[in-house]
Amino acid sequence: MAAKKAGSRLEVEIERSRSECQWDRIHELVKQLSAKLISNDDMAELLLGEAKLEQYLKDNPLKQGPSPRGPRPKLTDVRKHLTAALDRGNLKSDLMQEANLIMAKLDYMEGDYKEALGVYARVGLDDIQLVASPPYKLRMIAEAYSTKGLCLEKLPCSSSTNSLHVDRDQEIITCYEKAGDIALLYLQEVERVQTANIQNRSPKPGPAAPDQEMSFFLETGLQRAHVLYFKNGNLTRGVGRFREILRAVETRTTQNLRMTIARQLAEILLRGMCEQSYWNPLEDPPNQSPLDDPLRQGLNTKNYALSRRPRVYSGENIFCPQENTEEALLLLLISESMANRDAVLSRIPEHKNDRIISLQSASVVYDLLTIALGRRGQYEMLSECLERAMKFAFEEFHLWYQFALSLMAAGKVMSSAASLRGVQEDLQRKALLAFQRAHSLSPTDHQAAFYLALQLAISRQIPEALGYVRQALQLQGDDSNSLHLLALLLSAQKHYHDALNIMDMALSEYPENFILLFTKVKLESLCRGPDEALLSCKHMLQIWKSCYNLTNPSDSGRGSSLLDRAIADRRQLNTITLPDFSDPETGSVHATSIAASRVEQALSEVASSLQSSAPKQGPLHPWMTLAQIWLHAAEVYIGIGKPSEATACIQEAANLFPMSHNVLYMRGQVSELRGNIDEAKRWYEEALSISPTHVKSMQRLSLILHHHGRYSLAEKILRDAVQVNSTAHEVWNSLGEVLQAQGNDDAATECFLTALELEASSPIVPFTIIPRVL
Amino acid sequence: MLTTERGAVEEWLSEFKSLPEASLTSYAVNLKEKTTLVSALYEVIQEPQSELLEPVCHQLFEFYRSKEKNLRIFTLQFLPELIWCYLSVSTSRDLQSSGCIEALLLSIYNLEIMDEQGHSKVLSFTIPSLSKPSVYHEPSSIGSMALTEGALSQHGLSRVVYSGPHPQRETLTAQNRFEVLSFLLLCYNSALNFMPAPSLRSLCHMSSRLCVCGYPRQHARKFSGVKNRIPASSEFMVQLLTGIYYSFYNGEWDAARRALDDVLYRAQLELFPEPLLVANAIKASLPQGAIKGTKEGTKCIQVEIAPTSSRISRNAVTSMSIRGHRWKRNDSADLTLQDELTEIAEVDEGFCSRAASSSSQSALSHSSSGSFSRPSLGKAQRRSLGTRAGVKDRDSGGDSCREHLSRKHNQRAMSENLELVSLKRLTLTTSQSLPKPGSHSLARTATSVFSKSFEQMSGAAVLHNAVGGNHIGSGSCVETNRFSACSLQEENLVYISGRTELAVPGKPQPNLHQRSPSICITLSTD
Repeated sequence: MAAKKAGSRLEVEIERSRSECQWDRIHELVKQLSAKLISNDDMAELLLGEAKLEQYLKDNPLKQGPSPRGPRPKLTDVRKHLTAALDRGNLKSDLMQEANLIMAKLDYMEGDYKEALGVYARVGLDDIQLVASPPYKLRMIAEAYSTKGLCLEKLPCSSSTNSLHVDRDQEIITCYEKAGDIALLYLQEVERVQTANIQNRSPKPGPAAPDQEMSFFLETGLQRAHVLYFKNGNLTRGVGRFREILRAVETRTTQNLRMTIARQLAEILLRGMCEQSYWNPLEDPPNQSPLDDPLRQGLNTKNYALSRRPRVYSGENIFCPQENTEEALLLLLISESMANRDAVLSRIPEHKNDRIISLQSASVVYDLLTIALGRRGQYEMLSECLERAMKFAFEEFHLWYQFALSLMAAGKVMSSAASLRGVQEDLQRKALLAFQRAHSLSPTDHQAAFYLALQLAISRQIPEALGYVRQALQLQGDDSNSLHLLALLLSAQKHYHDALNIMDMALSEYPENFILLFTKVKLESLCRGPDEALLSCKHMLQIWKSCYNLTNPSDSGRGSSLLDRAIADRRQLNTITLPDFSDPETGSVHATSIAASRVEQALSEVASSLQSSAPKQGPLHPWMTLAQIWLHAAEVYIGIGKPSEATACIQEAANLFPMSHNVLYMRGQVSELRGNIDEAKRWYEEALSISPTHVKSMQRLSLILHHHGRYSLAEKILRDAVQVNSTAHEVWNSLGEVLQAQGNDDAATECFLTALELEASSPIVPFTIIPRVL
Repeated sequence: MLTTERGAVEEWLSEFKSLPEASLTSYAVNLKEKTTLVSALYEVIQEPQSELLEPVCHQLFEFYRSKEKNLRIFTLQFLPELIWCYLSVSTSRDLQSSGCIEALLLSIYNLEIMDEQGHSKVLSFTIPSLSKPSVYHEPSSIGSMALTEGALSQHGLSRVVYSGPHPQRETLTAQNRFEVLSFLLLCYNSALNFMPAPSLRSLCHMSSRLCVCGYPRQHARKFSGVKNRIPASSEFMVQLLTGIYYSFYNGEWDAARRALDDVLYRAQLELFPEPLLVANAIKASLPQGAIKGTKEGTKCIQVEIAPTSSRISRNAVTSMSIRGHRWKRNDSADLTLQDELTEIAEVDEGFCSRAASSSSQSALSHSSSGSFSRPSLGKAQRRSLGTRAGVKDRDSGGDSCREHLSRKHNQRAMSENLELVSLKRLTLTTSQSLPKPGSHSLARTATSVFSKSFEQMSGAAVLHNAVGGNHIGSGSCVETNRFSACSLQEENLVYISGRTELAVPGKPQPNLHQRSPSICITLSTD
């Protein structure tokens, strides 16, 4: 009884050693085995033969490519053991099978391919049961299939007929496919048994099982099938094979293989497939596909079955990609997580090589991620991915560069760009020089000419600016900014009708450009009277509605933030150029006005969250545009002296942005119209508390203070306003009046003269309304 | 154009008209064999003055409208050439001749933005997330790597719209031009596998010409004809890159290589981050040299044998090994007290090796990591002496590799600099003649050419505003209001119009009539 138990434990040990390929332990175990029973001798021969062969393979690993040939002196011992085991014929049938399989492998090693194939035919390789086989047996079968494939490849095809050739090719590939499938099963089983052992067994585990290393034969089985498919131009089945390997549950040994294959499949999906030729991993592939070499069309479905298959990822709600970019992304994310796991962090010199390897494998993945995400416009996600790459990226130009670009593309540096694009007063001359230089360097660049014209316009050199803007228009006739600038320049020369004609022309090319529309409203109320202007406001509301109704089919705001963002981004990029909500009349975007628009935004959000009806979700820009439309309408109403209509319009804007300084300013205007000066003063003060540099509010407030006789305070405010924007002629005029009232006639005269001069060159809307983004 | 080619086109025009419905499929299948016809059609498209252009465009649209997939593909293969012809003609402002090409492009666009039921197409896709199990992975096996802030914030899958819904368009304006063209390229890209080689070549060639015309590089590329710079949007360029990327690996290596360089050149000049990103990535991921040698015209999708064992040496500190290290320490409850102490001490000394996870190797990893631990640790130092030689050996190997990489890196940087330098020089020396001050009339299209087809289309469409440009507003007024502000707006509009008695919906806007004369005045004064 005790002996039997000991024997079975020994058998378990032997089985485990064979499964885990610990060949050096076999010798010790065989000694114990032979001591037990004489009938074990054949078994011992088998085991010794196997162990010596495998040890030889471990010491002299086979390489892909050249195949072994000729007898090897070191293997004569192996053949002796195996022949001994086989010749006596005492072995049980399944052990005979095993001995034969080892023998065939030996035949292959010595270049006797025919003999090896003969052995496989005799043993009946295809009939060996996979169910209930111990892991080591699975390994043997997998290696046998792989060896069979190798032998078949080596032997010349007996027939020359093409169809037979194709059949033969398919037979070889099927061998490898089976070998690969069983290899995956084997690796899963070994790992399962190992983890079970660790969990069940004594608290003191023996020496931890070493990481399995894949033998040459298993590796061949796993990789040769798809290589052959691609070589034969059968992309469909190659992709199918990749997917089968990847769908099998991963083991520690297959991690590297999976990482590479995932990346390669992603490459094929991105380089060789398109949406219309795609089929998903759970579907059958199409029978005819443009992916495949038309001359070698074969069956695109699998033509073999195994009694047991490797476990695959499964479950009720598992994600299955539905298009090629989706699948490529999923694969790349998996590769990325693996590459990240292998990121070599230590910076000591001796790990330089490892660092380079880990960097290379990661940057390949990141490049592919960039291609896939760029295709779908997902720059935000891309910047997040590339941020993760930064751990590899010490002193690595490419990754940093790409990261920076992705941040730009995702619009994350807009705030810093905004602060850069403004041209400070004292820098204006330098800017002018720079633009002049740029224009002379590249006379065919319409942008250089345009920016030069704009800069000249801002410094009120109207005729010169006109010259350059015409040049810009000759280079690029339908550039919206150039057309806009031309109209503003004409309005500065008080040719309002010409300006309006230009605006109409520009709008026929850019019918949905709100900045152009806003200027048009102002021009219309001057040239064609308020009715036309109001009509334009109405038209704008319709455009607004058609733009945003269309892009926002479900405005339920279900928290699909990415979707919203995507739409917002696309809108921002393509069609709608949005009016700058920061004060256009200031010569530059001051820090305070950026801050003010942020405060405006934040306060408005707080305020509107108190009112449940206010629209809060979705991108902000459309709502800002809408508010601007209402404010323009209000301005027209104020112009024709209709306070109640104006108030209704302002209320619409206030519903969207209750804390906007523009809204507060307009309220002040209405109050003034109604003769309610004190109320107006309060509104202006409120506007200034939100945006301390809002020049229009400053000017109106100082006027009121002037009327109240508070000259010095009015003067102070006006001087501040001039500091903010030195080209506002109303401010200079008011300043003159205040100074005059204080008896400072000389200074007042100077102010009036400045005001006159500026008024003569003042456009209908400040030039700075034109967006300046390089 | 040769008479034989002309004959092929004329035969093609007449044959299709007399084709019975039943033989349509076989006709469509055989069509792609007719290479003379295809090249003749390319010639027709390239020649804006050809009197065949109009019937050809018309028939290409008829093909696109049919339910036969092969016929649609046949039309689609000419898309790059059509886009180029449209852009090059529209920049020279000779608008009459591009009228039928423009109408064809618009018609394809208006067909493609609708699905079979006549609803606006919205193209969306799911961003996969590692935190959700998929056919290829289980979140648990990815480990804590998936639990970044970003991953948590979008836990689960998010569906993202990447194109659409697009509005019907009756004309191409400067504002919508590249929106329409980008969408058309998107359609083309989704059928790349069905595109024959000449079409891919035409795409690459179009990209090159579009990106360099009017820039100094035009002379280097020896493109004649178009002198002006043709504007391009960054989204359009990204779409071009998709096709270029495909061309690389499907037989058009050389053309694709040139096109990629030119897109990169233009994207750098325009400071477009999106195409720069994608083009850089494509360039960096090109296989080194291996494919160049292969014969032009062959597919070159390659797979390599994957190394199954990790190429990273075991004692290198990786993100994984650090994690494994800590994990082991917390988890092995059965360690004796002393073991635990030494192990903690190791961590304190700044050892991050895999010592704990593979005890058999601990000696080696101790010694190698000893070289970067504090020198005061006598024990580690003494041990490190033993393997000094080995360390040196590996070191030198690493150095050469590193050197190689950095050299490569320098080369890249240098070539970029050279490019910039040469660009500057060229810019300084070129003084391109300014284009003639032509009339700046607008891209009024010859939609009338296909008015019949458009009518049919708008009949199928849900939107009713596809009839004339002046009715845009009136159509959308009927639609239900979604936003509270909009509904308010509607009330106020009624109010406004009541007061002013001018808001007649659908009243033609005066600007349409007054536009053209003013243009001539303003521009000719120069």
